[in-house]
Order: sequence, then C-alpha cells, then structure tokens
Amino acid sequence: MSDAAYLSMRGLSKSYPGVVALRDASLDAWRGEAVALMGANGAGKSTLMNVLGGVTAPDAGTVTIDGAVVRPRSPREALGLGIAFVHQELAMLPSMTVAENVFADGFPTRFGMIDGVTMQRQAAELLGRLGCDLPTDRAVETLGPGDRQMVEIARALRRAPRIMIFDEPTSSLTNREKRRLFDIVGGLKRDGVAIIYITHFVDEIFDICERATVMRNGATVATSAVARTSPAEIVHQMLGEADSGERLADPSAGFGPVALEVRGLSGGMLRDIDLTVSAGEVVGLWGLLGSGRTELVRALIGLDPIEAGTLRWRSDDRLRPVTPAGLHRIAGIVTEDRRGEGLLLPLSTRANLSLASLRALLTPLRLVDRGREESLASDLIVRLRIKVSGSAQAVGTLSGGNQQKVVVGRWLATKPRLFLLDEPTRGLDVGAKTEILKLTAELARAGAAVLVISSEPDELMRICDRYLVMSRGRITGNLSGGATRADLLAAVSAAPSRMATA
Amino acid sequence: MAASVDQPAGRRAGWWGAGGRGAINTRQVVTAVLFVAILVLLGLLAPSFFRRNNLINVLVQTSSLGLMAVGMAPVMIAGGIDLSIPANMALGAVLGALFMGAGGDPVVGSLVMVGAATLVGLLNGIAVAVLGMIPFVVTLAMMTVTTGAAVWLTHSVSLAGFPDSFFDVLLARVGGVPLSVYVLVAAAAAVGLVMNAAPFGRYVYAIGINPRAARVARVPVRAATCASYALAGLMAGITAVLLSARLGSASANMGNDGVVLDVVSACVVGGISIYGGAGRVVGAVLGALLITVLSNSLNLLGVSYYLNLMVKGVVIVGFVALDGLRRPAA
Repeated sequence: MSDAAYLSMRGLSKSYPGVVALRDASLDAWRGEAVALMGANGAGKSTLMNVLGGVTAPDAGTVTIDGAVVRPRSPREALGLGIAFVHQELAMLPSMTVAENVFADGFPTRFGMIDGVTMQRQAAELLGRLGCDLPTDRAVETLGPGDRQMVEIARALRRAPRIMIFDEPTSSLTNREKRRLFDIVGGLKRDGVAIIYITHFVDEIFDICERATVMRNGATVATSAVARTSPAEIVHQMLGEADSGERLADPSAGFGPVALEVRGLSGGMLRDIDLTVSAGEVVGLWGLLGSGRTELVRALIGLDPIEAGTLRWRSDDRLRPVTPAGLHRIAGIVTEDRRGEGLLLPLSTRANLSLASLRALLTPLRLVDRGREESLASDLIVRLRIKVSGSAQAVGTLSGGNQQKVVVGRWLATKPRLFLLDEPTRGLDVGAKTEILKLTAELARAGAAVLVISSEPDELMRICDRYLVMSRGRITGNLSGGATRADLLAAVSAAPSRMATA
Repeated sequence: MAASVDQPAGRRAGWWGAGGRGAINTRQVVTAVLFVAILVLLGLLAPSFFRRNNLINVLVQTSSLGLMAVGMAPVMIAGGIDLSIPANMALGAVLGALFMGAGGDPVVGSLVMVGAATLVGLLNGIAVAVLGMIPFVVTLAMMTVTTGAAVWLTHSVSLAGFPDSFFDVLLARVGGVPLSVYVLVAAAAAVGLVMNAAPFGRYVYAIGINPRAARVARVPVRAATCASYALAGLMAGITAVLLSARLGSASANMGNDGVVLDVVSACVVGGISIYGGAGRVVGAVLGALLITVLSNSLNLLGVSYYLNLMVKGVVIVGFVALDGLRRPAA
C-alpha cells in the first residue's frame, strides 16, 4: 500500500440559502482499506458523499483520485471515475428481476435488443463473486432485505469500481446477513478497492474498518486509526465538547399542574408510551436515531397515526381527553425539516408568520385584516430580532437562523400552551442556537408545556428541567434536570449496539 | 443596504404571494409582446376585428372561457387540476334545459344548472381531498361520466325551448355590453378578492406551495382542497346559465374536449403555474382574453380550424416551458 491516499477530499465547502452543509470537510481513503464515515444526522456525511458522487457541486475544495484532481459533474461521470454507491435498498426497481436490477443503468445488448442470456449469466457471475446464488430471474420485490443488498452490491461491482461507498448497509440486516456483508467487504478490500463505510453503529467499524473519520456540523473533526481509538472516544467526537454555553434556565422542580398526560400510546414503532408534561416545564426527549423521539412528537399531534393510547390535556382546570388533531390545534410545532415542513419558502416573511393565526386576524367581512397582519409580523420581527429587509422579504432568502425564528414566531403568535420542538437548532450557528433555546426557555416561563428533541446533549442541558430517555420506540428512563452530560451519554450507551445519536 | 439586512433586498415577495406583484417577469413580457403582435397583425390583415360588433363578440366569448378559467385558477394554484369543468358545465346546462323544457321556472332552472355543477365539483373535491385520489385521473373520469350523462339525457340533440324570460334577463345589455361580460368581471373580482385576502386563498396558495408544511401549520388542507373543486363547479354552473342563454340551447357538445384545452391554456398563459402555488385570478381572465383573441383572429384570417388548434397547442407548450424556467431547480 502506498502512503498517499488513493482518494483525497480536501477543504470542501458547500452552502445552501440558510444552511451551511459543509465547511472545510476532508476525507481520505486508501485502496485495500475501509474508512468509516461517522457523524450525527446533518453532520454533512450525505453532502460530502454527494460531492464525490457528482450529485452536488462544492463551493470550494478539491477531490483527487490517484493524484489527479477530478470534478465529477454527474453520477455518470462519477461512475466513470470508478466510484460506486451501495445505497440503502431504496434504489431498486421492485417489480423487475434481479438481473434487470443489476444492469438497470446499462443493459447488455445484441443487435440493439437487450441480450437476456448474457445479462442473466453476467448477473449470476457477479452474485457468485459475492458468494450468493440468487435466481437471477426472480423479481426483486420477492427478496428479503439481505438479498436485496446483495443485488445492490452486485450492481455496484459491475463497473469494477475502485472506490465503493456503503451507506448504512446493515440497518435492515439480520446478524447472519451482516456477517456475510462483512465477508464481502473483506473480499473487496483484498481486491484493492477503497471503501467508505457510513454507519451509525459504532461497534461495526471496529470489525471491518481500518480508519474512522468523524464529522460534526459540516466539518471533519477527527480521523483516527481504528486500532488506536475506542467507541467512547468516537461517540465523544460525534457529539462534541460541552462548550456550547451555560444553562439558560436552571432546572426547577416546582411547576404548575400536569398539562399533558399520555397513557399507553402505541402506533408505528411507538410502544406503550406513558408521559406527562407540566405547565412551565421543559422536558427533553433524549434518544438515538430511530429511538422513536421524532415519531412520538408527530404522533401526538396526528401527523402520524396512532393505534392505541389516550391523550389528556388540561382545560378549565381538569385533564380532559383530547384527540391528536385536537392537540394540533393548540400546540406549536417545530419539525426537524424546516424547509420541507416548516416554511412556505417563496412566500413573504409576513405571510409565513401569520399563517397559523389568520382566523384571529379577520375583518367583519371575514377577510384577513392586512393592517393587523402587518403589525403582528413586524412585532414578531422586532421581538425575535429576525434580520429581514422588511416583512415582505421572501422567507426562502433568509439565513437558517432567521428562518427558524420565523417558524418559532409563527407559533408564538398563537400563544400556544404546548410547544413541541424537534431539533430546533439543527444547522444553525452558535448565536442563533442560543437565541432559539432562550426563546424556548421563555415560553416555558410564560407557562407553556414544552417537549424538545435534540441530538446534542449540551443543548438539552441548557434548558431542560427533566429528560425522558427513548429507545426502540419506548421510554426507557427518566432523568432529573440535574443529570450530567455523563449521565445522558450513559443512558444512551446503555442501549445495546445503537450508539450514535443522529 | 442597511447593515442589519443579511440578504439582498432584490428578491421580495408580494404582499404575501410569490414572484412579486410589481416585478415584471419573462412570461408577462412574452404575453404582452404576443398580444400586441396579434393586434398589429390584425390591424394590417383583418381590420374587421376592430369593428364594435366583433369586439363585443370577443368579450362575450371571453366571458364563458374566462368564468371557467376563474374556476380553474384556485384548483391549479392548490396544485390540482379539474379537467371536468367544461363537461360538468354542459351537464348542468342540459339538466337545467330539461327542467325548463318541462315547464320549469327559469330562475329555478338556472339554480338547477348552478347546483348540479357545484355538486359535481364537490364530488371531485371529496375524491381528491378526502379519498386522496389523483386530480388528473379523478377529473378525467368525471369528464367522461358527465359527458356520458349529458349525451344520454339528450340523445345527442340540442335542447332548445327555454322560456323567453330566460333570454330577456341573461341576454340583456347594459351600455351596449352583454350581461355575461359583467358577470365575468364580478366573478373574477370576487374570486380574486377571496384568493388575495380571505384565509381560504392563503390556504390554497400554501397547499400549492407545500402541502406538508401547510398541514403542520394547521392549514385545513382537506377542506380547502375540497372547496377549490366545489368553487370550480360553481363557476362551471354560472357558465352553463350564460352560455345556454347565448346559444339558445343546451347540448353535451357545449363542453367538448377543445374547451378543456382552452381553459387550461387560459390559466397557463395567464401565469398560473401548473406546479401550483403561484398565479393570480386576473391572470386567468387575461389568459382567456388572449386565447379568445387568438382564436377569433385566426378565424378572421381564414385559417383552418385545425391549424387554429395547432397554434393553440404550440402556445400552451411555449408557456409551460416558461413556467418551467421560472420554477427554481429544487
């Protein structure tokens, strides 16, 4: 093996309006080795791989392969450079056969027609290299996830790639299928392929990777040889230092009466959730990717269906049964997907701020009172210090922090007594993060019951009065507001195998 | 630029709509140039276009197309489409004509037309908004069903025999301009106001821009979507009354396939995005005017009906292309 990396990505940056996806990110990969790419959701892994795959053009930075600078401008160009992706089973054509899926991006032809015989034979050969004897004429939709993965890998292998990217390949595999996959990765390494292995399972990388590169907030924070690091250190690198600031509100114990009570909630992946939130209390939902924290918040307000359970909400000084749709009418909600579910990007800041309050702004003719709408918007712009040229500025042109303030401001205008925040600070800079957290604490002080999700324990620790730990769709723990960072990480690490927040 | 502003002030939304009210975009320029070009060409080749009678005729033709386009506009802005508007209009007209032909009162007969068409629109709305069906398929099927019903009820003949009072009112002229033109102006103003200033209008734009975000923001997505189709039905019903009075008869053929094309063209040419979320009602009316003038002038120039169809098709494709250019890459 040579000393110089076969693939070297250096100083890559990429910004979207309102979001910095990559800042000075780097990654090296060597032939015959696997490098693990780790990081919480939104850390920049996907963007970095999209740059390599020709999907995204970086604003700055270089990619070199075997010493030569390359700039793939399309997935096809990336393929030509010997770069192949193994996606999480989503790139399949379910009703087509195994062989057709393997050759979907370029069928072998004879006299202009697809050469079925050659296609079947070559597909069988590729699968044979993987130690796999699937019938090549089976429809892919009849296969299990493990076999589909093999088809996906065979498709990638077909171009004899020199760099292969595995994107969370084990997330739906059984242990036996996982073993088989690891053997295949080992075989590819022996063939001299450079492997980039993306996963949330920290233990896996110690089985099959030589190096681990950790990303956080769009930047590469560490690259280490796997032999000289530990799972705890990698988790630490992913979540970052406890440097994000002091508490914005001391945890307290004396709250108002219970405002929201959930009993036996099940549905989707959620199982038997019990919880209460009091008026004036900030409860942090703390758990890993796939623990069910986002699903819980969505189920509470009816964005996802529930199968069983009761919800009760305090009104007129008594806890009364309420439907998820009923909770939606009184709750403010900040979803994790600000651009996809939060904002109407082409519309003005004013229209985005007033959207949930229109019924309170009507003239006697049932039309929206523009004067009151404008004053609602300008009041919020001043109060939240939203930086805009005016309330007419399209919200899609604001920075990420200001966009998030618009989402929060929209709900402030409805004076919600229940506030649900899912990753409210994702992708924001430190200053904007603090402002959003401050707002959250203020809301609680004004008497709102608050449930907040964050992948960063340090952020939760700045505002939470209590933590609920989630794992595999259940609530598995309840920590007091005095819990330390170590307590929170221990609660997470106690959950078997799945170690990374995301 | 003030230091506190972190974004260029150039891109401003309108009061709340997309694209900016004052801003001039490519499409508006193209539309204006096309319109002027047609008028100049007409002045040179067919000065009879500018005769008072022909101008009024153009306005009357615009009124039926315009009313249907006004009905289509909210549906398209909400991200849907209603292909059944003309067929629905024809069925409503046929039902009203049958009622009046059997000696029914013309006021009630007109209400039958409006009510039947609104009901069909509501059914479209329920299928799309509540049952989650694809608008294109639902309304295409509804177009077939209503056309079939109209043909079946009439045995493919035109129903005449409206009472005189029906014509007396509906064909009245005020200041030399027929009533239907005023109805178009009034309907466009009313729907335009609702779309601009009522919560319903806000909801419709929000749904067209991003239905997921709209739902999270407590927009009543189902009710507003459903209402947009019912409104399209209502406009089809009003068109049915005016058009059957003008033609003196009602038939299944009033809402033939060519009319669907004209309604969609009027909206697209008038700046209503086929992707939803953008456009204004007044644009649909101006689009209807342009399409009508285009047809009328090609007629006056002695161009064959089939070439006329081809020209209209090309115009639509051109404007859809402009629509695609305006739409930012996702």
